[in-house]
Amino acid sequence: MNRARITRVGAVAAASALAIGGLTACSTGGDSGGDGDGVTITWWHNATADPQKAMWEQVAQEFEDAHPGVKVEVTGYQNEDLQRTLIPNALQSGDAPDIFMVWPGGEVRAQVEAGYLKDLTSVMSDTIAEYGAVVNPWQVDGKQYAIPYTFGSEGIWYNTDLYAQAGITSLPETLPELEAANDKLRALGVAPMAVGAGDLWPAGHWWYQFALASCSTDTLKTAIPALDFSDPCWVEAGERLQDFMATEPFQEGFLASSGQQGADSSAGLVANGNAAAELMGAWNAGQIGSLTPDATIPSWLGWYPMVSIPGAAGDPGITMGGGDGFGVSADAPDEAVELLKYIASVDVQKRFAATNAGVPAHPGALEALTDPSLKQIGAGLAEASYVQLWLDSDLGPAFGTPLNQAVVNLMAGTGTPEDIVKALEDTAATL
Amino acid sequence: MTSITQAGPATTAGPAAPTRPRRRRDTRKWLEIALFAGPALVVFVGFVILPVALAAVYSFYNWNGLGPLERFIGIDNYVRALSDSLFLQSIGNNFLIVVLSLLIQGPLAIVVALLLNRKMRGRTLIRAAIFVPYVIAEVIAGLSFKLLLSPRGGINAFLTSIGLGDLAQPWLAQPDTALWVMFGILTWKYLGFAILLMLAGLQGVPEELSEAAAIDGAGWWKIQWHITIPLIAPTIRIWAFLSIIGSLQLFDMVWVTTKGGPVGATSTMATYMIQYGQANPGYGSAVAVILFLISLVIAVLYQRHAMRRDLGTSTSRGDD
Amino acid sequence: MTTTTVPVIEPAGQRFSWRQPIVYIVAATAILVSIIPVLYVWISGFRSSADLNANPAGWPDPWFLGNYVNVLTSPRFWGSLLSSTLVAAGTTLGVVVLGICAAYVIARYEFRGRQWLYTFFSAGLMFPLTVAALPLSILLRDMGIHGTFLGLIIPQVAFALPVTIIILVPFLRAIPNEVEEAAQLDGASRVGFFWRIVLPLSVPGLVTVGVLAFLNSWNAYLLPLLVMAAGGMPQELWTLPLGVQQFSTQYSQDTGAVMAYTSLAMLPALIFFLAAERRIVGGLTGAVKG
Repeated sequence: MNRARITRVGAVAAASALAIGGLTACSTGGDSGGDGDGVTITWWHNATADPQKAMWEQVAQEFEDAHPGVKVEVTGYQNEDLQRTLIPNALQSGDAPDIFMVWPGGEVRAQVEAGYLKDLTSVMSDTIAEYGAVVNPWQVDGKQYAIPYTFGSEGIWYNTDLYAQAGITSLPETLPELEAANDKLRALGVAPMAVGAGDLWPAGHWWYQFALASCSTDTLKTAIPALDFSDPCWVEAGERLQDFMATEPFQEGFLASSGQQGADSSAGLVANGNAAAELMGAWNAGQIGSLTPDATIPSWLGWYPMVSIPGAAGDPGITMGGGDGFGVSADAPDEAVELLKYIASVDVQKRFAATNAGVPAHPGALEALTDPSLKQIGAGLAEASYVQLWLDSDLGPAFGTPLNQAVVNLMAGTGTPEDIVKALEDTAATL
Repeated sequence: MTSITQAGPATTAGPAAPTRPRRRRDTRKWLEIALFAGPALVVFVGFVILPVALAAVYSFYNWNGLGPLERFIGIDNYVRALSDSLFLQSIGNNFLIVVLSLLIQGPLAIVVALLLNRKMRGRTLIRAAIFVPYVIAEVIAGLSFKLLLSPRGGINAFLTSIGLGDLAQPWLAQPDTALWVMFGILTWKYLGFAILLMLAGLQGVPEELSEAAAIDGAGWWKIQWHITIPLIAPTIRIWAFLSIIGSLQLFDMVWVTTKGGPVGATSTMATYMIQYGQANPGYGSAVAVILFLISLVIAVLYQRHAMRRDLGTSTSRGDD
Repeated sequence: MTTTTVPVIEPAGQRFSWRQPIVYIVAATAILVSIIPVLYVWISGFRSSADLNANPAGWPDPWFLGNYVNVLTSPRFWGSLLSSTLVAAGTTLGVVVLGICAAYVIARYEFRGRQWLYTFFSAGLMFPLTVAALPLSILLRDMGIHGTFLGLIIPQVAFALPVTIIILVPFLRAIPNEVEEAAQLDGASRVGFFWRIVLPLSVPGLVTVGVLAFLNSWNAYLLPLLVMAAGGMPQELWTLPLGVQQFSTQYSQDTGAVMAYTSLAMLPALIFFLAAERRIVGGLTGAVKG
């Protein structure tokens, strides 16, 4: 080797070392707990759009102001990324955020069994008492592991103008009435209903509703925890759905439509008047509103409860709903619990209600709702004989994709009602 | 990227270099090998092989991604995957795309490259334009095509405007058209890469050969078929290899555009893995291992037989 | 046939210059088909979202500059731009350096296990990144580089090595033995041969793998999501694809803004490619003559 080359190699090596050093220094790794002179709390949620995103940021700021020395790092992530990738990865690798979104039913159960969540039963007993029964889906073995901030039921969002134009004078209350209304809408040239079957779960919800209508409440209460689907009502649900599909209620190309993103999603189609109605949860007011030209909830948007099915065994007073909540990581600092108490306080809940992003979980905040549809939903929840959690939430994360895929197959004409039950049984067998 | 035909048998290099003791030469050789290949090997093993091996371990467990690995179930995940009709359909889709790519994209790229392989006005512009689809991120390309192909999107609007309104349909929403349309999108995205690769290979073809043949009276196509194409054979082989593996691993474009729908029409092994593996990483890992094994077998077979010459598996290179 | 100054081949009986219609048609079709979807996104950025949602397939009417202005004045866009550039440059550097060294050894040294080494590296192509994601993030966390640029660059280099080596090895093998023997006669060592002759000769190949590595890094989504987003880096420093996704879900109702953002996010990669393009194809020609 000659000297010139050694020098050159050495120079390159030194430059690389400097660069690498610079790159590691550029890190801003988010550690939680213990900055030396104060506490940092990390908080992850799924609001990527205002006003909800701004609201959470404000809540964080207010908490910081009230607790000097505490810093709150709050970030909103896209829902799918958060639920399927970011949170599971963070939990598994031991660096979970202090406060994060916890989904009810099977998911919270799985997280508790792995020891990731802090037991809130005693430290937040006052808050829990304030909320009442709505916290139940986030309990495991009688202990509370997360507090919901929104809970709403599902119903049919519709365009009052289009319904009036089609000559529908009274809102459908039974399935035959819905089918008749759909015929009138089709004559108008719009899609009577929209569904985002491309995302799978919006289609799944239709089958869940038919299952609720076909199965008695007792069956639901026992079959789901036991994962026993031998009751014929589960097949019946698929058969009824098949009959409904034969009336061609949905928009063209529904198999590939997304539920919420863009002008051709089911929400978008309703927003721009190309579809007259869609079955969705309480968040849909805000969702549809965001897809309108002026980004506000349209005045023509209305809501009515899901129709009942005459002759079916299910209880017509039952309703299906779900919600979102926040939990605290097992090794989070105590300040995190304080923050959650603040988030769950009735004042913050009222502000949430005022944004009309959904129905607040706290009973005391319902009065702050201004949107008439959301008010209807809140009232309906209170009157329901039984509130069933979204079936895929209740069953657990392993069921979501196989079940929803089987429902879409049925809607596409390639699957049978028995296939849906088989998907459920196969998944249950793997647990 | 061409292989230059070596005239005559490889000659063993005689002791032309000053003789050094053999042992020191050997040690030095191994030292150089370690120094040169070492860093790449370390990074590769540490950040690819290791995580992947870990994932393979997961495949033998029933695991929901949280908590410790506890429930060893042997090959149950594998059995489950291989008996799932959707997974089998995905495998079929992958192989269909492999075949379509080789049969359609390959010849198309070669022909276009042959036609464009001349000094023409705007040559740089053409080559740049052709490569643009490859440069665009999958997220962006997928979003664009979803919008173009939606029932009220650009393509249907265009068809209606030129009087072919009857052809307007929800392209990506119908199980029978979705896969073919998907292949069209893939061709759009990756054909430019193939063309550029072929063009690069063509640079190595000496013009004198074609000119000589032309003087002898051969037509254009005959020249290409008998002279040019055989000379870019190594390039074609490399492209084919990358294309096969890429088709087997297909994920990004499909996920962003259709997520494998509708009803599995465009499902690939990788989209199936993500869809069903998120709740059960053990199962997802098993699917990944199956994908890996299929790719590996095909790759090894291909390298053994089709790419012998390019890799110099012949042993007559003999020097130290 | 006469002059050799005619740059094109003139087979008997068939004039085949660029004026031949079929070449012209092929070229025009190729350009149009390649560009139109991209143009669609660009032009849609000039429409307001209300316009877009009402009529996805129309022409801007009126031309609306607000989307592009908003994106160009947002610090998040420029921060993401910087971040993507940094990560892509680092990845490219790592890939090229490690790749050429390893490829040189595989291509030109004779040793037991050489074929195995090549197959070992190319086996890396067979595994999708998605499966290694979870163990990889645990590994990065253990090494303490999770949530740093380095934590993103090194795995990207690792996953880019297979393609790089696959492309470079045949390239390097093509250098004739005679050249190497001549260098040895001149008294150069193996390493000297590498430094002085192989490297300059392989510049075209290096440019090719460099461009590929750069583009792949630029467009990557999953790994940045795991390392940067889950690692807690501030959103201003996320790479562009992450930024596009975050932007599109945050403003999903604002289709026009999303179009503008994605159009601008495309630009740097396009510009880089255009700048490098001459060197790739031109350089690959040089490889043969060199």
